[in-house]
Amino acid sequence: MSLSEKSEANPSSELEENLEILRQTYFFSGLPLETLKIFAYLCTREKFKKNEYIFKQHEDDGRAFYIIDGKASLEREDNGNARDIRDCKGGEFLGGLTLLGDLRRLFSLRATEDTTCLVIEREKFSKALQQFPDIMPRILKAVAKSIDSWEERFLAGRGDMCGECMVNLGVSLI
Amino acid sequence: MKKADIPIVKRSLFSWVFAGNGKLQVILLLVIIIMVFARVVPLEMQKRIVNEAINLRAIDKLLLYCGIYLVAVFFFSALKYLTNLLQTLITQRATAEMRKALYHHILTLPLGFFRNTQPGSVVNSLVTELAMPGNFVGMAVSAPVTNILTLLAFAAYLFWLNPLLAAVSFSIYPIVVFLVPVLQKGVNRANRKRVDAARTLSSRIAESISGIHEVHGNGAYEIENKKYDRLVDRLEKIRIIWSLYRFAVKTSNGFFISLGPFIVFLLGGYLTIKGQLELGALVAFLSAQERLYDPWKELIEFYQVYQDGVVTYNRTMEFFDVMPEHALEPEGRGAFDLNPSVEVKDLSFVTDSGISLLDGINLSLNAGEHLALVGFSGSGKSTLALCIGQLYSYTGGHVLIGEKEVSKLTKKDMVNNMGFVAQSPFIFDGTIEENLLYACRASADGNGQSEAHLPTLDDIIAVLQQTGIFVDVLRFGMNTILTHDENQELVDVIIRVRENFQRDYGEELADYVEFFDENQYLYHSSVAENLIFGTPNKTEFENTNLCMNPYFLKFLKQADLTRPLLSLGADLARQTVDILGNLPPDAVFFEQSPILAEELNSFKAVVEKLRRRKLHELSAEHHKQVLDLALRFVPGVHKMVALPAFLENLILEGRALFREKISVDDPEAITSYKVSEYIYSQTILNNIFFGKTKTANPRAQEKINQSIIQLLIEEDLLETITEIGMYYQVGTKGDKLSGGQQQKLAIARVFLKNPNILIMDEATSALDNKSQARIQNLLETRWKKKNTVISVVHRLDTIKTYDQVAVMKAGKILEIGTYDELMARKGMLYELVGKK
Repeated sequence: MSLSEKSEANPSSELEENLEILRQTYFFSGLPLETLKIFAYLCTREKFKKNEYIFKQHEDDGRAFYIIDGKASLEREDNGNARDIRDCKGGEFLGGLTLLGDLRRLFSLRATEDTTCLVIEREKFSKALQQFPDIMPRILKAVAKSIDSWEERFLAGRGDMCGECMVNLGVSLI
Repeated sequence: MKKADIPIVKRSLFSWVFAGNGKLQVILLLVIIIMVFARVVPLEMQKRIVNEAINLRAIDKLLLYCGIYLVAVFFFSALKYLTNLLQTLITQRATAEMRKALYHHILTLPLGFFRNTQPGSVVNSLVTELAMPGNFVGMAVSAPVTNILTLLAFAAYLFWLNPLLAAVSFSIYPIVVFLVPVLQKGVNRANRKRVDAARTLSSRIAESISGIHEVHGNGAYEIENKKYDRLVDRLEKIRIIWSLYRFAVKTSNGFFISLGPFIVFLLGGYLTIKGQLELGALVAFLSAQERLYDPWKELIEFYQVYQDGVVTYNRTMEFFDVMPEHALEPEGRGAFDLNPSVEVKDLSFVTDSGISLLDGINLSLNAGEHLALVGFSGSGKSTLALCIGQLYSYTGGHVLIGEKEVSKLTKKDMVNNMGFVAQSPFIFDGTIEENLLYACRASADGNGQSEAHLPTLDDIIAVLQQTGIFVDVLRFGMNTILTHDENQELVDVIIRVRENFQRDYGEELADYVEFFDENQYLYHSSVAENLIFGTPNKTEFENTNLCMNPYFLKFLKQADLTRPLLSLGADLARQTVDILGNLPPDAVFFEQSPILAEELNSFKAVVEKLRRRKLHELSAEHHKQVLDLALRFVPGVHKMVALPAFLENLILEGRALFREKISVDDPEAITSYKVSEYIYSQTILNNIFFGKTKTANPRAQEKINQSIIQLLIEEDLLETITEIGMYYQVGTKGDKLSGGQQQKLAIARVFLKNPNILIMDEATSALDNKSQARIQNLLETRWKKKNTVISVVHRLDTIKTYDQVAVMKAGKILEIGTYDELMARKGMLYELVGKK
């Protein structure tokens, strides 16, 4: 049964929709369909009301988010000063690294309108990963590629505007 | 215990024979003496029947002797049964006493002993090995007395019949008496090895079972199998040798004894032919001699039981022959109420294998001062805390609590003054309440106080709140399903509360709760619940039984639901098996599955059938299975299949039809969901909601908790529900609680006890920031200047408020002082804090 052949009498299941989403997410897109299905199955959907925090700085919530629809604001607080970093909207995937290691959030994400997210938890992710150890290299490759192309884009676009921060460039060299 | 003065491990096996069983053993002895007499009578009757009755053709004598014979046999059997009964009583009593005494002893052994001892060894010793010595105790008086008396009686009788024949037939026994002990030595050797091997094997099993995560995680089945198989093979060999020796004893004994009749025939036959012996006497002689065999055999068997019993008993006791390091109870005084000052002077701790874990430790704490121990793992901070708490016995220097040397204090002194929260605290199987009151009950018991001394519900609730586990307990309470006749009062209140809830919080929680509405499909309830829309009062209408309930099946057909549901079930089975088919039965994978882990294989078979056949071609059994699966389908949870709109409508119509039908056909069977009635199949929370929570995610839970706590306070139900929550069963080792909950419970346990000195070994490591800060705050505001606290700390952001901070490395204190002093000194602490 291909996914496009769905009729109204036979609506597509949430699992199938999740699967479509994961296939378009850099983190998962390189995985074989069999394993992708399991990740799609392990995902849950969560709704956040306007102004509700999706995650908070300093906390380790151990979850990655794909924004299905809605809008959220990425924020950072330093010494009591809160700053808006940027807006995140439908179609963005955040927090892939949290799935790989115990990390405390460096940012907060606050819903600026009612927002629906697809959520995958680190615990479920790693349990599934144990079953398919051979997919780990593919994920690592995807993550490395993503970090690298992020910095490349940054350098090409804004690299010269960095000023004093210049010495901190090179996250792709970690 | 009467024998408390001699530790069990020093008691000989024989000491159990009369201890506590004296009266029974004497009664047994009397019964045996009568029994032996009853055993010889038939022999004499036998002779008289042949010689007097038959020879003289006297019918009356024949009847008389036969009558006496019969009575004697009957009497003997009854007495035999009685001896067995008494023997069993003694055996079981002795075994039970040994088990208790040994267990009581083992529990008091120092922690060091258990570092080298697997739980399996202890289990094996207590459960299996003590059975054999118990057997011996049961037989210790009866077997030798019965059999020796019987032997003597028969022997005397034989000598009386014919001294010459008797002397000759007894000549065999010395050979046996010489031979059996020789063989028995082999048996004992093998038995000693067997006890050790069985203990090792038990340890092995216990170890691999407790490490099963590691085994699965690494797929190390082969490694474990090899280790285990090798031990089993060894035990097999030892047991074969053991059994061979045992049979050798039996067989050689049997062989020599069987030679008896041969000699009697030879000599007795000769004498009879020569007319020197009556035929009746020969018959009696033969028959008596044959009867020698049984008591003799039993005597040899007893000898074996005795040897096995002694060997097993001694081997077991030797293993546990370690003395508690500290007396349990003080003698001639009550337990001290110590001033909680702590003085450590030049303390050292060296393990048995000569490794020095602590060296030259000095520190001093006034009563009510708080000390933080920091350092890398392996620096000795936990060891130091445990030495101060007497859980480890230090090998040099001094620890003084209230100016008393800790090593000289009894356990009771320590227990009365000290509280302890371990790094991974142990939670016992039972309720939250039992675990909370564990420390208080233990000390109340120890001090002979009644239950009235235990903390009140108010105290408990206060501590639950302080430690932050209150909300969890409340949630356990809210998730309780009440049974019909309990808490009628509460039930009434909840129905009343429902309305207020809807009015005050309904809108706010609408995103998280699906309210029961007759005209709406419930996406977070199963198809069955959607159809029945009520609480079944008869078992055949319970969810799991619906697929076998003819009435319900007929209804499905009428409502045109059978086919669409079967098709839904088939789809569910296919999709679920496709996703989960090759995954291990881990709860994480099956949380969102309508198929349980243990059903997966049978559904695989159904799916396999469906691949080749149409739905209507399935067997009746498979039909039932598929229908059952469809009835379990909860669209809000089982996301692998979507609920088609037409089916949703059909089910809603079906709900109305079902209600109409059942109210006519069997109105008692179902109590429909009504705002005015309590739903006994649902939790308290769902009853207040008159609906179901849609999600288990913590954020939603918190939202719900906030509203519900508010509501419960308004309705004055908080205490009642918390009390219900305290009856929540935490599971083996508390496995139904999260790591954080377990730690909070352990902290609450010690807070309730409110000890003079509190030792915490990384006690808050699994807690979130908020809970950790709350507990830190509490220690500072409530405990400081009253109770002394020694805390092994893993996170340096919590140590600023301690009176003293000691930084440890490699078993030594590098620096000690207040946080500010040490930071100003820019030494080790400064470096550690910087690194974090």
